[in-house]
Amino acid sequence: MWKTVLRRILIMIPQLIILSMLVFILAKMMPGDPFSGMINPNSDPKTIARLKQEYGLNDPAWVQYTRWLGNLLHGDLGQSYIQKVPVASLIWDRAVNTFWLSLLTVILTYAIAIPLGISAGRHQDQWQDQSIQVFNYITFAVPAFVFFILGLWLFGFTLGWFPISGSVSGDVNPGTFAYYWSRLYHMLLPAILTALITTTGTVQYLRTGIVDNKVEDYVRTARSKGVPEKVVFNKHILRNSLLPIAAFFGNTITGLLSGSMVVEMVFSYPGMGKLFLDSISQRDYTTLTALILIFGILTLIGNLLSDIIMSIVDPRIRVK
Amino acid sequence: MKKAKLFGSLTLLSGVALTLAACGSSSSNSNSASDVNKLKSSTPEKATKKGGTVTRAIETDTPFTGIFSDELSTSATDSEVSAPADESLFGTDDNFQFNNKGAATIKLDNKAKTATIEIKKGVKWSDGKQVTAKDYEYSYEIIGNKDTKSQRYTSSLANLVGFEEYHEGKAKTISGFEMPDGENGRKVVLHFKEMKPGMKFSGNGYFWESAAPYHYLKDVPFKKLESSDQIRKNPIFFGPYKVSKVVRGQSVTFVPNKYYWRGTPKLDKITFSVITPNSATQAIKSNKFDIAGVINSQWTNVKSAKNVNFVASVPLSYGYLGFKVGKWDAKAGKNVMNPNAKMSNKALRQAIAYGMNIAPVAKRYTHGLSFQVPTLIPKQFGDYYDSSIKPYTQNLKKANKLLDDAGYKKKGKWRVQPNGKPLTIHLAAMTGSSIQEPIIQNYIQQWKKLGLNVKLTGGRLIEFNSFYDKVENDSKDVDMFLGAWSLSSEPSPNDLYSEKAPFNFSRFVTKKNTELLQEMDSTKAFNTDYRVKKFHEWQQYMKDEAFVVPTTNAYSVVAVNNKLTGYSTKPSKSNGNGFPNWFYIGYAK
Repeated sequence: MWKTVLRRILIMIPQLIILSMLVFILAKMMPGDPFSGMINPNSDPKTIARLKQEYGLNDPAWVQYTRWLGNLLHGDLGQSYIQKVPVASLIWDRAVNTFWLSLLTVILTYAIAIPLGISAGRHQDQWQDQSIQVFNYITFAVPAFVFFILGLWLFGFTLGWFPISGSVSGDVNPGTFAYYWSRLYHMLLPAILTALITTTGTVQYLRTGIVDNKVEDYVRTARSKGVPEKVVFNKHILRNSLLPIAAFFGNTITGLLSGSMVVEMVFSYPGMGKLFLDSISQRDYTTLTALILIFGILTLIGNLLSDIIMSIVDPRIRVK
Repeated sequence: MKKAKLFGSLTLLSGVALTLAACGSSSSNSNSASDVNKLKSSTPEKATKKGGTVTRAIETDTPFTGIFSDELSTSATDSEVSAPADESLFGTDDNFQFNNKGAATIKLDNKAKTATIEIKKGVKWSDGKQVTAKDYEYSYEIIGNKDTKSQRYTSSLANLVGFEEYHEGKAKTISGFEMPDGENGRKVVLHFKEMKPGMKFSGNGYFWESAAPYHYLKDVPFKKLESSDQIRKNPIFFGPYKVSKVVRGQSVTFVPNKYYWRGTPKLDKITFSVITPNSATQAIKSNKFDIAGVINSQWTNVKSAKNVNFVASVPLSYGYLGFKVGKWDAKAGKNVMNPNAKMSNKALRQAIAYGMNIAPVAKRYTHGLSFQVPTLIPKQFGDYYDSSIKPYTQNLKKANKLLDDAGYKKKGKWRVQPNGKPLTIHLAAMTGSSIQEPIIQNYIQQWKKLGLNVKLTGGRLIEFNSFYDKVENDSKDVDMFLGAWSLSSEPSPNDLYSEKAPFNFSRFVTKKNTELLQEMDSTKAFNTDYRVKKFHEWQQYMKDEAFVVPTTNAYSVVAVNNKLTGYSTKPSKSNGNGFPNWFYIGYAK
């Protein structure tokens, strides 16, 4: 299997090069550049032209691309045109924020979805199942931004239970307990709201899995052997029903870093998703290309991880 | 620096001034306009007490970059979030003319071609050190040295003798920057190549108006300055408050600067936090913040908010309809007008202007927060504004007559050009708030009544970057365009409309226009009466020629906790960067 993994990793290299080329070309095709918002009678067009030249924005696209690739191989993601700091440090800042928010969200999602899914599957067509289905319809149908804005309005503004924006309050010092509490406090509302509306898939997969597995031959065999119902359920049915969720788990792990644009916009939470949007609208090429490349790598690794996880949890599947 | 505010403000304007901003609620109530007129430019004056904290919401979708330096910053939000700490060297009156009430005095000598600047004794950085002549010079060095990648260097600033040589690396020092009492003195004499009538106004662009802490920054190499902790994390200024904590992109906390030269500030703590514009109304209504900007399109929902005073000001800006009548000649560095261009016919331009129902549309969609502006010189410039000029108001009869007389005959549904060729006019307009589209469509309908076939460039509204890409490069797909300008506080329109101005996007060049513009900035114009007269003549001329038709401007409204006093948008009470001076703000007794 390790050979396969190695081969998969090697295949990633040309994939990433093609991805980076596409990213670079598309970014350059957007009208305008990092300086186009700066036109103003008080800025000297000559100064802007000189800076464009110095930043190498006037070079042919392939020169810019090879320069970028060269720097990349040296581990240099470049300097952000807009934020004027190294892209790596900018992304690191945001990645940490996004990671904790996503981690909390994932934990909450599973904490909500798995019990709901199990309950719905176990009590198929009973009142438990039906009310969970209604919950599912609602969370599936409500658009995320509407849900977030409503939640922000209710719990942030009207009831005042949670902070309304940002990732940390301005008057705590890093390293103190108050600081970590403030970080967590700022994440709670976005995480809970996101968790609530992303449960649909997990609940449905789990429910369907349980419903299907309940009537499988091996379950009947186990029951006829006299295995206690509890063991039948937890050991046989549940484990097999978790397979589809495990299939996505690799992407869930890497998805921790890509962040959610909608939730980050609504809560002004400085994470990767928001950085991505900002870098598009401001034509911050260096940040934009670095981000897409990272997202690309994450997706490829996520797929690989999913395959590995599947082969571990499901002995029937072996990567060949 | 006025410039700090102006730099990024075009982006802002594309969303604000140009878009007229309002929700298209059909219950346009007739009282709303008078509501707006009742708004004051400052909070009621009351005696203040010491202490208290203030929270300020900054509504923006883009986090501030946090470059706490007037010389290096390029974003409007950056200068907004540094307002409590940052102060310019000079004070002004309400018409933006320098007075000597700021941190430094200034004396212009037209004969000797100098400006003598003296920093007042006791004006100290927040670490207790006196602001010196060298600090002022260091601003110039940061701007001039190419290693800092500052975007502030302009040919206007190069009016200082020797600054260009310094910028090109040909000289180690700036020869025209004289420090009679040495680097640690407080006196500076600036030697200019030529004197300009506009120099008595703040924001004139011929000399810099703030200082940089040399003793604090000198060890940072210029190349690393913009990303250094001294600029990004622990900046120092000489304004009333000092930065105590920066959370990158999110919030800035200020505490009093005990060395502040005007005295001890009143508040214990100020926190600026970034929130999304979607939350602005709730932020105000829930009283979560003590000061928060009003998003104009949300006005009807906000105006009933309790426990707040609304403070309104009219920004130095306007939206306009420009007609493309020529091209920018990059080699010669000047605009070249084409007398045979589609839009070069004056009658056609005037007819288009008479076809627009600017005032009723602004009233209908913005509840009075936007209003028509009559001329290209804003009212805030006092005498320079010609109050006798009437704006173009809709007059379809007159417009039709103009077109008929000029030979634009109707052939079927649409009018054709005098030479018989079909006439299709391409209008470029930017995307903006939700009312932008209906307003533009309305204008197109009005022009249709005249038989003018106006089509949107690209068939729809264009995103900001693409819009200016097309307009700047004189794209063939643009015959006229709806743009917006934010202005410097020096009234001269030379940067925008002269023959050599790249920002003269219409590309019109006429003898009369060049003459008038030169006259208003000539040595003769040191005589204010003469200058005012030329300004009036120019406004009349521009109104008549209609190369650029001013459309609307909009109030900028801020909601302030009604227990706070001293919040004023008057230029005389500002920090010199276009924001209120926080020294005057405090809680009422």
